[in-house]
Amino acid sequence: MRSLIHATALTALLSAAGSIATAEPIRTIDLLSRPQAAQPSEFQFVQIIAQEWRKLGLDVNVRVMPFEQMADIVWFNRDAWDTTAWQMVGRPERSDPDEIVFNLFHTTTAADGFNFIGYLNPEYDAIVEQQRVTLDPDARQALIYQAQEILAADQPNMMLVHPESTYAFDNTVWNADTVVEQGGIGIRNTWTFIGIEPLGDQRDIILNSSDNVQAINPLYISGGVDSWVTELIWDRLMRIGPDGLPQPWAATGHEWLDETNIRVTLRDDMMWHDGVPVTVEDVKFSFEVAGSGEAPMYGPFVSNIASIETGDDNTITFTLTNPSASFLTSSLAKINLIPQHVWGPVIEGLSTADENAESYQEEMPIGSGPYRFERWATNEEIVLSSNTDHFAAPKADRWILRIVPNVEAALGMLRSGEINFLADFPGDPGVLTEAATADGDLTVVSTVDIGFRYIAFNHRRPPFDDPAFRRALSAAVDRNLIVGAAFRGFAQPSYSVVSPALPFWHNSGVDSMETGIEIAQRMLEEAGYTIVDGVLNYPDGVTETLPVE
Amino acid sequence: MKGLTAIGSRVLQTVFVLWAVVTILFLMFRLMPGNPMAAYIDPNFTLEQQEALMARFGLDRPLWEQYFIYLWNLLQGDLGESFFYREPVADRILSLLPNTLILTFSSLIIAYVFGILAGSYLAWKRGGLTEQIAIPLVLTTRAMPEFWLGMILLAIFSFWLGWFPAGGTRSPGAEFPTYFALYTSRDFLMHMTLPVLTLAIYSQGLPLLLMRSNMLDVMKEDFVTMARIKGLSSWTVVIRHAARNALLPVMTSFAISVGYQIQGNVVVETVFSWPGLGRELVRAVSIADYPLAQGAFLMIAVVVILMNLVADLLYALLDPRVNRE
Repeated sequence: MRSLIHATALTALLSAAGSIATAEPIRTIDLLSRPQAAQPSEFQFVQIIAQEWRKLGLDVNVRVMPFEQMADIVWFNRDAWDTTAWQMVGRPERSDPDEIVFNLFHTTTAADGFNFIGYLNPEYDAIVEQQRVTLDPDARQALIYQAQEILAADQPNMMLVHPESTYAFDNTVWNADTVVEQGGIGIRNTWTFIGIEPLGDQRDIILNSSDNVQAINPLYISGGVDSWVTELIWDRLMRIGPDGLPQPWAATGHEWLDETNIRVTLRDDMMWHDGVPVTVEDVKFSFEVAGSGEAPMYGPFVSNIASIETGDDNTITFTLTNPSASFLTSSLAKINLIPQHVWGPVIEGLSTADENAESYQEEMPIGSGPYRFERWATNEEIVLSSNTDHFAAPKADRWILRIVPNVEAALGMLRSGEINFLADFPGDPGVLTEAATADGDLTVVSTVDIGFRYIAFNHRRPPFDDPAFRRALSAAVDRNLIVGAAFRGFAQPSYSVVSPALPFWHNSGVDSMETGIEIAQRMLEEAGYTIVDGVLNYPDGVTETLPVE
Repeated sequence: MKGLTAIGSRVLQTVFVLWAVVTILFLMFRLMPGNPMAAYIDPNFTLEQQEALMARFGLDRPLWEQYFIYLWNLLQGDLGESFFYREPVADRILSLLPNTLILTFSSLIIAYVFGILAGSYLAWKRGGLTEQIAIPLVLTTRAMPEFWLGMILLAIFSFWLGWFPAGGTRSPGAEFPTYFALYTSRDFLMHMTLPVLTLAIYSQGLPLLLMRSNMLDVMKEDFVTMARIKGLSSWTVVIRHAARNALLPVMTSFAISVGYQIQGNVVVETVFSWPGLGRELVRAVSIADYPLAQGAFLMIAVVVILMNLVADLLYALLDPRVNRE
């Protein structure tokens, strides 16, 4: 009899357990971060986020690893991770939103491209495809706005902040009025290096970089520092202006003949640094080499060009395969103009070799840009001199880049005059502003970046395939807390992949989010998630199926 | 004949050590977690590009095949091509090695000359006030981390007094027609002063303490007492008789120090923005640039192995008994 009672109780217990079993607990969630030593801000905000998520009943495991290891998992093992901190850096060509809104979220880049989160949304795909071929800026702006609204609603990523780029210069050496602040980039830019005016005898721009220069090569997109150099030695048909929009440079202007034909006119007063005039044939050659496979990193920027024709009146006509709204920014303002008489034989030699043009380092790089190459001492300094024949000849005499891996020493050098332009400061910007106040001769400028920091969710793995779950996780964290605690105020909260530094494209309508643990909890509850014994469970009937690794 | 056999076995030994170093280096970097291609990830980077890049550097082949290709290339003096800089590793290393060697040897020579003399002096002045002040001082310099010492010297001599420049091997924009002209210039000397001083202060403790304790041992020996009885001046006894015998272990430690110094160089080269091999090595490891990291480590290993050989030879020169045994 007693055993019967026991059995009944057991059955009741089992059936109760069975009804709970339809709501499965969510497994331990991994959150990847780079180490504190390499990325102090990232390490800090990951701790904050993990702490907030835990309040929702999630078991969060922060895994700290170097970038090479993190990228190996996130990029090359796309099924194997849950969430990760990630960063996009600002570059002048990202002033056009196409690269970010398309490559990061389009279905075609999910398998092996930059949509490593596996976001699949046909409606979104259609809009970002449409903006590519919409040449009218206002119509395109409306589409970019719409794309941002979809992202805000779907929260494929958890956007965190747009960091600020903070640089400084000696205002007793340089006329502060001639320093140009480029939107989304900061004061360290080509316009500053061309326009900056010396006040006294020191006429050399002496700036620092904490990282080495990899290569000075117009056909190789190498390290970030390298581009400071290449942008000064080589001209492009257009350049991204201080307002973030492309403007004529080596071309006097452009004209769309129809949706797929664009004609540009080359200036007639340009010379290569060796004295040979720049011709439309050189321009044609430059674009052809970029697409030849000898310069693979430039390939994507010219892949839409079907043919190039040169005209007698110094014109070049590009025929495109598909209409392209970002063509001015992503192709004309991207491809370095290189002299055919220098590179022609080199490219011919490389066409039969294993190496491509990325491994070719010119002894004496020849461009047509505002600065000429003088010397390069390995891991120590690069010296450029003003090209006085240039149509935009710099006011300074020389541009000297010193490699200073010791951040504190770089700040000391700025104060002692060993350098006069602090172009790279990976340290705490608060320390920099304090030093400037103490010194009195330093001007510090902080600029909101095009780039951004975010937490990527892996949509291939539940529960991150559920937009409601992603929205709740995102709403759990106050972005101002991240700005203050992880970036010491030198950042702006981010709600869109299109930075507010790009006012024409940024949709300020998405610029707010109600955050807080209660709000997040309510969102989870409404979506059917429950908390059992302090552990967050899936909605009833949802089972956790992970992709086979 | 016996000498030749000795040299032969010594060479064989060296070759074996080098092979072991090469193999360990090869495995070490490939067993490190992470993907060397991670440094090139970009929104515009396609799968074909990745694969092309992997194939170009032979990373798509099986490990054992990579190993034999690496060995074969090495035998032909080819250290491979840097992933990061896209240039031959040998070129890169050769352009940075002189800067590192100059720093290493000038600081070590200063440290050892000072350490040997001061160590002998302290042994001679045993038990006095000099010793009571000097020994704690030396121990303090041994305990100071190099980066800390370097930053202190920078703060004092560069940023406060303004006597020496804060980084690099030359003034911004200074042009030198040849490396010889650079290395013999006043500008270079000014730039190397603080890094050399940092390394020398850090390194002098070992030879000093070693020399002192050896001297104390040697000075108890009969032949020293004999020399004293002969009526030789005490300085002659210390230097000519005792010091020469006490020097042997110090010479060995010099050879070992050259290898040890490399780690100090890494730090000092970063503090003083010195374009040397140590800094490059750290960079190469952190971005998984295998060929460059392997090449740099190998170069350092070669220097250390050579220095050990030199130490062995010096030993024989200083103490004829070594050869007779």
